[in-house]
Amino acid sequence: MRRHGLLTALCFAIFSIAPAPVSAGQEIKPFVRGSYQKIVAARQGKPFVLNFWSLTCSYCMVELEMFKKLARKYPNLDLVLVSTDTPEEEKSVSATLAKFSLGKAEAWVFADSYTERLRFEIDKKWQGELPRTYFFGAKNNGVDAVSGKVEQDEAERWIAEQYGH
Amino acid sequence: MNNLAIALFFTAMLPAGAALAADHAGHGKVGMAAPAAASADREKKWKESLAKPSLAVGATFDENARLWLAEFQGQHLYVSYSDDRGVTRSAPVKVNAEPENFLGDGENRPKIVARKGVIYLSYTQGLAKPMSGDIRFSRSTDGGKSFSAPITVNDNREIISHRFDSMAVNGKGHIYIAWLDKREHSAAEKRGEKYNGSAIYYAVSDDGGASFRRNDKIADHVCECCRTAMAVDTDDYPVVAWRHIYDTNTRDHALVKLDGKMAPARISRENWNIAACPHHGPSLAIAADGVYHAAWFSNAPQQRGLFYAHSDDRGKTFSGPLNFGNIEAQPSRPYVLGLGNRVYLVWKEFDGERTAILGMDSADGGKSWHAPKKLAATADVSDWPMLIGENGRAFLSWNTGNEGYRLIEIIMGNQ
Repeated sequence: MRRHGLLTALCFAIFSIAPAPVSAGQEIKPFVRGSYQKIVAARQGKPFVLNFWSLTCSYCMVELEMFKKLARKYPNLDLVLVSTDTPEEEKSVSATLAKFSLGKAEAWVFADSYTERLRFEIDKKWQGELPRTYFFGAKNNGVDAVSGKVEQDEAERWIAEQYGH
Repeated sequence: MNNLAIALFFTAMLPAGAALAADHAGHGKVGMAAPAAASADREKKWKESLAKPSLAVGATFDENARLWLAEFQGQHLYVSYSDDRGVTRSAPVKVNAEPENFLGDGENRPKIVARKGVIYLSYTQGLAKPMSGDIRFSRSTDGGKSFSAPITVNDNREIISHRFDSMAVNGKGHIYIAWLDKREHSAAEKRGEKYNGSAIYYAVSDDGGASFRRNDKIADHVCECCRTAMAVDTDDYPVVAWRHIYDTNTRDHALVKLDGKMAPARISRENWNIAACPHHGPSLAIAADGVYHAAWFSNAPQQRGLFYAHSDDRGKTFSGPLNFGNIEAQPSRPYVLGLGNRVYLVWKEFDGERTAILGMDSADGGKSWHAPKKLAATADVSDWPMLIGENGRAFLSWNTGNEGYRLIEIIMGNQ
């Protein structure tokens, strides 16, 4: 096991000297109890999109591709991306976000293995299906929750409504 | 483990196409097209996830009220038994001599059946690529002292998804295994076409598990990541239930009896339209009176939460669904058991601090139900609940990170 650990360490060492696709310094914040409230409070009624995704969810990758297009088209879009993976997977999380040019989005990763507890704070009606996306309207004027991949035209309609594009 | 570590090492060293090396090192099979760096990263993540400890336990009683348990530990599947309802256990016996990776989350628990002195096991082996697996089978013909070397049941050997197995053994000793299979998806991809979802396949062994016959397709376009369920009807044919994809993305439930006559029938009509797979499959039981009982989860805008329905005509039509569980408490992972007229349901709820298993029962074949009651709770991670029956009595089988494995009898009514 010790040898295995060393090899794993070497893997990471090589990853870090290779020309990494990771944009310098996207902070991946640990999502714990209270993080959800912080995310909402920090926005004080301004519109934003809160998306939950995972590295092993193929529909999430399709949705991240869409967010990439939206982020490019609407630079004002406030996008918060929460990976439901683990802090140990932070490098994979940031590499994936970099791949989709989402290095500027606010990024978090679940940092509590008791995921029921995290989900309960976010939404009691969310049983963990991914992707899960919340559209927070301006002035806390309604939140739309969507399970599964969001249609781009629906997202754009919401953006137009909220940001006046 | 070292092979895996070395494979990872090479994956890291070579910028692209390196995953092929990982595949060869791990399984000696031909990989798919060379992936880009990000997908190599996903493969690395997948391999790490394969090593995560599993809380999933498969449980069953044999005819002599002996409890049999199957669980993954590291890269081995172990079987143990208990003659005092789980209080003490025999020394675990290793099933697979050669180490393997397992898919051991709650939707993928090991399946175990003990019948007439034979112990039957099926499980999903995790392969090198993300979301890929093989369906494996092993048996013991010496009362659980030793197990046959596991065999792969799926006859398509691409490194793609063959996962979410369910298994049943009928009165003739025929073993049926059903699973979700992406071979159609893979073939379509090679032709540059799209294929929505997975297919569902099954195979049967009529030589007691020495071998399985060719794989047969049950249906196309089913939800990719939800457990399948299987139960044996009173005529000895198995019935399989799964989350189907109707139209483009309506993911409700279907079932079919594998008698070569029945066409798949729809169990539920919540019309849950979701462009994703919710990782939340159905539960199916067939009671001795031939009534089918089904339980499932939906998150359709008008019909949210857990549902139960029964069928008195062998699955052709179902009763209007009963919506159960507290929708404000993340109700999830329903499991149903039918013992004659008595029907039992268990499921998970979370109250903000603790996860509980709720249970309720019916004394009239599912027509009316006693009020739910809390059967057990934990304050950290836990397996999905399952129900097993023994001589007319129903038991909750549940494994939790803090408390370990528990077997709890469900007492009828509202005491």
